[in-house]
Amino acid sequence: MNERESLFRRLSAPSGGHGAEAAGPLPEGAPTAAPGDVVARFAETFTAAGGFLLRGPAEAALSDLGEMLRAEGVTSLFFPDDDPVGREVAEALVPFGPFTLTTAAQVRGGSAEVTAGFRTAEAGIAETGTIVETSAGGKTLLPGLLADVHVSIVPISRVVARMEEALSPLASDMPRNISFLSGPSKTADIEQTLTVGAHGPKKAIALLLA
Amino acid sequence: MELNANAFARNARKALSDKTLQEALGRTTGRFEAHRAAAVAGFPGFEAARERASAVKIDVLDHLGTYLGRFIEEAEKRGAVVHVARDAVQAREIAARIARDEGVTLAVKSKSMASEEISFNEALEAAGVTVVESDLGEFIIQLAGEPPSHIIAPAVHKTREEVSLLFERHLGEPRTDSIPELVGMARKHLRAKFLSAGMGVSGGNFLVADTGSVVLVTNEGNGRMGTVLPRVHLAVVGIEKVIPRMADLPTFLRLLPRSASGQTISSYVSILTGTKRAGDPEGPERMHILLLDCGRSAILEGKYREILKCIRCGACLNACPVYQSVGGHAYGWVYSGPIGAVLTPLLVGLPEASPLPDASTLCGACAQVCPVKIPLPDFLLELRSDARDQGLKTPGEIAGMKGYAGVMKRAGLLEAIERIAGVLGQFFTKGKGIAGLPYPFSGWTERRDFPAPAAQPFRKQWKIRRGVRG
Repeated sequence: MNERESLFRRLSAPSGGHGAEAAGPLPEGAPTAAPGDVVARFAETFTAAGGFLLRGPAEAALSDLGEMLRAEGVTSLFFPDDDPVGREVAEALVPFGPFTLTTAAQVRGGSAEVTAGFRTAEAGIAETGTIVETSAGGKTLLPGLLADVHVSIVPISRVVARMEEALSPLASDMPRNISFLSGPSKTADIEQTLTVGAHGPKKAIALLLA
Repeated sequence: MELNANAFARNARKALSDKTLQEALGRTTGRFEAHRAAAVAGFPGFEAARERASAVKIDVLDHLGTYLGRFIEEAEKRGAVVHVARDAVQAREIAARIARDEGVTLAVKSKSMASEEISFNEALEAAGVTVVESDLGEFIIQLAGEPPSHIIAPAVHKTREEVSLLFERHLGEPRTDSIPELVGMARKHLRAKFLSAGMGVSGGNFLVADTGSVVLVTNEGNGRMGTVLPRVHLAVVGIEKVIPRMADLPTFLRLLPRSASGQTISSYVSILTGTKRAGDPEGPERMHILLLDCGRSAILEGKYREILKCIRCGACLNACPVYQSVGGHAYGWVYSGPIGAVLTPLLVGLPEASPLPDASTLCGACAQVCPVKIPLPDFLLELRSDARDQGLKTPGEIAGMKGYAGVMKRAGLLEAIERIAGVLGQFFTKGKGIAGLPYPFSGWTERRDFPAPAAQPFRKQWKIRRGVRG
């Protein structure tokens, strides 16, 4: 008898649970959806999570974004090959700083540049201020993973109220990776002092597009 | 991890006289507690979520075989390979074999308490694999050669000066007292490891049965790095971490970060399902999931089964007056605080950890904060009584407790003793405490004075007070 069968024998003995599929009625879930405008709520929660929110695509937003990136010392911008909106925003930013365009492959190769990664989000969650990115359809996750600054482009039509609404369309055909990104990478492991940029982006920016 | 739980009293004494540790504990546990309280107050649905999570977990315990079977089926359908280990020895063998078969020489690991249970790192090092801890706190204590001291803040006992010394010695970095600079040094060093490692090792906060997913919750992003970049992903997870449905996950995600650190949500949640799909530009080509029994199925059969509801948030640690005073190392194994005082004896056997259930004042704070409503104080009491039944208590303690119970059950006798003690007490102690009693009472008086008996019995005082207040 292999270990797996042996485990199941141990587990089924006391509970007699084989064949039982779903739980009985469960207590109601938490009331989390605040009524009202989910986009306004998202703006609030994303900021509370430590992110910076801009509303685009006006010239003013690009100029603000350029300034933020310069302040972080960013010199290179990259975006997924198959993300036309990400490309458009990154290219439009070039005149706002001494920025050059680079590729995800170069960044993965260990580029010494300070980078900003651009990517269109699959969803925004108002409940938690979360950007949802997935690998569904062969999309890359590197801009939100390796970059020093992550710029998420969030079409307002993709902002949902709660985590449930973000997950349920994905559950029928799960991709390898669903990532919830809420604010910058943080650590408080040294003396409980909150510090950004432990491994992932030091700054998380969301550009809301109508 | 080496087991040293029977030395709790000695470990605790050492911790109490360790100035650096006391300073670090003072700085941290109170802050965790305050953040948690604020997060819970800001979320009116907390109690409802708690009820629901507890009910879901009880359903899981009732049908663990079913849900685990579904999890394995769904995960393997999507390319993962699932392994099952009965005990730590088997788990180490399997982990070493996976690393060898996959040709791995460098592994980056994100935090996993389950992996500490089986001494995962030693197993891989013995197989010639270098394991680098990537959670900053774990990385620091790995450099220091120490075990973690807190579930979610493993290096809580280290000051910035100590961290800088370690980085100077092991990474060749200049000394600094700037925490952001220290974080930057670790980031640079670990980024290179993430980009070159053959295998990423993770734990798992949740296993989702209906999709076969492993869910990781982190703030630093190390769990994300290690499960996107390396060619192989190995998740080491206890069998009790399964939840039935993806639809249940939000409830747990509303509870875990709030309870752990007072955050609405942690920076990163990764839901990882199978291997990279055809056409995915990154993600592991191979995914292994190592499920640990290691004593859990035996717990499931007994009266302590609800301890398996634990989601490892650490809230009970921060709420516990004993943990706040002695920190994590004193508990002598992987799990500390109230959860450790219950779980450790159950996983390693009560004779190996019999002092731990006594490391509690039974104040009940742990049960109040537990997000899945585990009756921790009840379990602590029950374990004390098991310890007596198993002959793990001294005759003096048993006799003392019997005598105490005999008196407390008889109000008249108690009052008579209190009267006599009151008179003698006033006469001999002059209202000061009693010190230097002989064995078996020396266990009490060698560390603090026994309070002097009151002049009047409790029941009399009570009557007077009630009379005064009408």
